[in-house]
Amino acid sequence: MKRFTMEEVGWTPRIPPIEEATATPAQRAALDACPPAQRSSVYFRTLANDPGSLGERGALFNTVMYAPRGLPRADREFSTAIVSMANGCVYCTSVHARRFTELSKQREAMQRVLDEGHRVETDPRRRAIADFSERLTLEPGAVTAADLAPLRAAGMDDLEVLDLIHSIAMFANANRLMQSLGETDAAE
Amino acid sequence: MDDLIEDLLGIAPGSPLAELRRRRPEALRHAQGAYRELLMPDDPGNVSHAERAALALRVALRENDAALAKHFRGLLEKAGAQEAIMLAEDLSAAPMEGRLAALLRYADVVAARPAEVSQGTIDSLSAMDLTPRDIVAVTQLVSFVPYQVRLIAGLRAMLEEKTA
Repeated sequence: MKRFTMEEVGWTPRIPPIEEATATPAQRAALDACPPAQRSSVYFRTLANDPGSLGERGALFNTVMYAPRGLPRADREFSTAIVSMANGCVYCTSVHARRFTELSKQREAMQRVLDEGHRVETDPRRRAIADFSERLTLEPGAVTAADLAPLRAAGMDDLEVLDLIHSIAMFANANRLMQSLGETDAAE
Repeated sequence: MDDLIEDLLGIAPGSPLAELRRRRPEALRHAQGAYRELLMPDDPGNVSHAERAALALRVALRENDAALAKHFRGLLEKAGAQEAIMLAEDLSAAPMEGRLAALLRYADVVAARPAEVSQGTIDSLSAMDLTPRDIVAVTQLVSFVPYQVRLIAGLRAMLEEKTA
């Protein structure tokens, strides 16, 4: 597990990203639908080559990660870091481990999971989130109501469970896009 | 409102799960919107609606989601694209020739082993006269079906929980 980190990791696209100065109105509108903090990133500008899909997918990403109420944002970030580890996406793992740490101030807990895997997690709520995140990521066809029981035991209501499912599903998508369309620069 | 996920799961309007999903209206709207934009865009560029449906079918099969696969197969049947169905459903390692076969192999890698995509993989798509826009569209499409698969699986578990 040593390859995962919360340090900044680079990403180089395998096709030319859109430049803001020469973006078409459709490309600009699609970027505007994406989370404000990320819309000028090289990754989103790469996706802007196809504005139709980015507009919808960017708006979906935005609501999944940032919609108010329901699952706390730190839990969404934690879940997406676990999904990214399960999918082997070093870049996405670093970004979302960092965001989780910023929101939760639980740097040591996150670092331990990055180094040793989520089975060392001792916080019952985070452990339940991590187990379910990995299960739905790797074995979606095998998931049953029994897999939700630990989430319920940790006190999660219907909206929180739905938000968690959305976060996990979103990173089945995000990890594949990120790994396919660009090269992650190896962590030092 | 038409919603593919609710059709596939048989979630009835007004049921508790339908009401719950409407507390996240943008997730509902943009998942359906992404599906529409990826499978049947007004301007499909160099990747036809039938090729897109074949790629989606392929990923649904690789992900073992029978209901989703049946839906995408239905799109191809409606378009009379029998040959695309045959190619997409041939999961054997038999060598396949041609443009759709090459796209299906790309879908296989992105769906199951995205870490194996290389610059060479992308360059081979460019060599088939796919533009950067086409390449992003195809990659978005084959990466979006895994979103649908996990959303369906998670919601199915919630349905099961409510009827237990």
